[in-house]
Amino acid sequence: MSSAQTHDSRLASRGRRLAATLIDAVLVPSLTIVLIMITDIVEDADDYLNNMWMLWVLLLAISSYLLLNGYLLWRNGQTLGKRLLGIAIVSTDSDNAVSAAPIWKLICIRALFFPLLFALLPPFILLALIDQLFIFSKSRRCLHDLASGTIVIRLGEL
Amino acid sequence: MQTRFKHNLTRIPQQVLLAVSFLMPAAAWANSSCESATAPSTNQLANYSTGWGIDERNTRYQPKSTIDSTTIDKLSLKWVYGLANNTPRSYPLITQETIYVGDGNRGLVALDRETGSERWVFPHEGEISTAVIPTEIAGQPALLFNDRTTGIYAIAADTGTLIWHAEVDEDPLAWYSGSPLIQGNRVYVPISSYEVALAFNPFYGCCTTSGGLAAFDLATGNKVWYLPTIAEAPQKTGTHWGFVQKYGPSGATVWGAPSFNKETNTIHFGTGQNYSHPTTDTSDAIFAVNANDGTVRWHRQFTTNDAYTAACNIVALNHPNCPDPMGPDVDFGAATILATTATGSGVLIAGQKSADVYALNPDSGDVVWHQKLGRGGIIGGVHWGMAVNENKALLFVPISDKEIVGFPSPGVAAPGLYALDIATGKQRWHQYSESRCEELECVYGLSAAPFATNDLVLTGTMDGYLNAIHADTGKVLWQFDAWRDFDSVNNLATEGGAFDAHGPIVAGDTLVVSAGYSYVGQQRGGNALLVFQLSHENAGAEHE
Repeated sequence: MSSAQTHDSRLASRGRRLAATLIDAVLVPSLTIVLIMITDIVEDADDYLNNMWMLWVLLLAISSYLLLNGYLLWRNGQTLGKRLLGIAIVSTDSDNAVSAAPIWKLICIRALFFPLLFALLPPFILLALIDQLFIFSKSRRCLHDLASGTIVIRLGEL
Repeated sequence: MQTRFKHNLTRIPQQVLLAVSFLMPAAAWANSSCESATAPSTNQLANYSTGWGIDERNTRYQPKSTIDSTTIDKLSLKWVYGLANNTPRSYPLITQETIYVGDGNRGLVALDRETGSERWVFPHEGEISTAVIPTEIAGQPALLFNDRTTGIYAIAADTGTLIWHAEVDEDPLAWYSGSPLIQGNRVYVPISSYEVALAFNPFYGCCTTSGGLAAFDLATGNKVWYLPTIAEAPQKTGTHWGFVQKYGPSGATVWGAPSFNKETNTIHFGTGQNYSHPTTDTSDAIFAVNANDGTVRWHRQFTTNDAYTAACNIVALNHPNCPDPMGPDVDFGAATILATTATGSGVLIAGQKSADVYALNPDSGDVVWHQKLGRGGIIGGVHWGMAVNENKALLFVPISDKEIVGFPSPGVAAPGLYALDIATGKQRWHQYSESRCEELECVYGLSAAPFATNDLVLTGTMDGYLNAIHADTGKVLWQFDAWRDFDSVNNLATEGGAFDAHGPIVAGDTLVVSAGYSYVGQQRGGNALLVFQLSHENAGAEHE
């Protein structure tokens, strides 16, 4: 992915982004379930003596995300869903220049911070909706895009 | 019997709660803002009741009451207290000056009986789910109650400070839903299990826990003995499609308050269904247990091969943790009653969620008579309890028969209150009302335990009516509609709802009941603790 290119006409369509998200939303929980079955972390009565099992399930969910998407995010700024739909996440700056997105932003801000915020603090469930509704803005950037300084573009048109 | 779980497992949240209980003692009685507040004696505490069943036999008959058919029309709402949750499950204790009741996550509150003002609060995060039991510990008046998940608590009645807290270590998933029974220097605590709900998780290896009855030392809270209702340890019985192990036997939990036979020193209680196969002969059964050492004198099963968990609630899911074959889920969740007939013979009365009612010989478990009063269902049939009026030789049986969406409910519903002859089981009358509207939460039916006093029986319906019914005729003499908002003495937004769970309690000229119970979202929730009192000129003398 080359740097210092402008992105005005290369933004990924809303449909592709939604499809990619749906694919990821199926794959990550599916792998999480497989890991739960393999590790047996919620299978025994003693596992429920306190709320630690919730933390373990959360860690397995994060592990599943990284197992499925970690390499692709690092190399191409893509999740598996985005890979299948031919779109990628890139950084952008005030001059509309794009560049490869730092992996820490993709993992820590886009992948973890916002989902955890929405999941752990119930009042923020509305924020999750607002986050997604930002896709209808002219720049097609959700809140998590704005927070991490990224956009999502069509790869084939680069 | 074999101990099923040997690990002494740490429960950090409960330790934290215990520490909070010690560090945050309630305001002392002397600091109360209420006028005429005096510390109660033990006799004053237990003046009107000794526990959930009013007496140790669970008759739920109040002899010390001025509320009867001639005064009931003078009964009116005196004050309302807004509880902190909308499915209250605490059964209050009434003394001459005070009403003690669990208040959601706030803890146990002591309310001035006259005004409803708070005298003290025992801070407690958790659900106080049982009756508040009066007793005496180390010469001082004390109160006992269960938190549904963290065990049994003893607190000082004058200051609301913690004396001891106890739980069982035999069951890692114990639920303390049934009210404790105090006899002599022992506290007997029924043990159920939230494994019944946990089974809805398809990755949980269902099921390994057994119900039971635990005996604790009243003075210290130390466990004296524990009787699991399933003696054998669970074994692996296979795996389901998710490679999750299946176990059995399990279940046979104890949900209701035990009753006590003083003559034979015997504790009686009922059990629920098994949670997995193989089933046992101790599920859906009645037990008679030696109070000294927990040995089983006899037990008798009434429904065989009944295995059921919450995983079966939506049949169409074909959930892997629903036992195959699935049973009808017909617990003896209601408390047993030890009643005396007109000829002086004792009968042990047990009501089942199947709507079957049995009178048993308390010494042998042999059936004296049996009645089938409805179709039964997931919340009864007989759900929480029954009451007797031995002066009139009557047993009062509430039948719910409510159909819950997603749950199997075959047969024709026959809800209402039934009056049966204690000695023969013959039906004297049946009181029934139409549902107030067509919506789900409007369905009529009696799930809450009734209460008897003088010539009245008091019932709360799931569609929000509190009724005073003449014991001789079944005629409704007085009714209160609780489906409305109330102005509460603690200025909390307060609304009434379905009557369910422990039902009303009467003491002297006062009637107390919680209105609101949101069972799986299919009944109207509410948080109103309603306190009724006879107008003073009609209070009269208590019938002794």
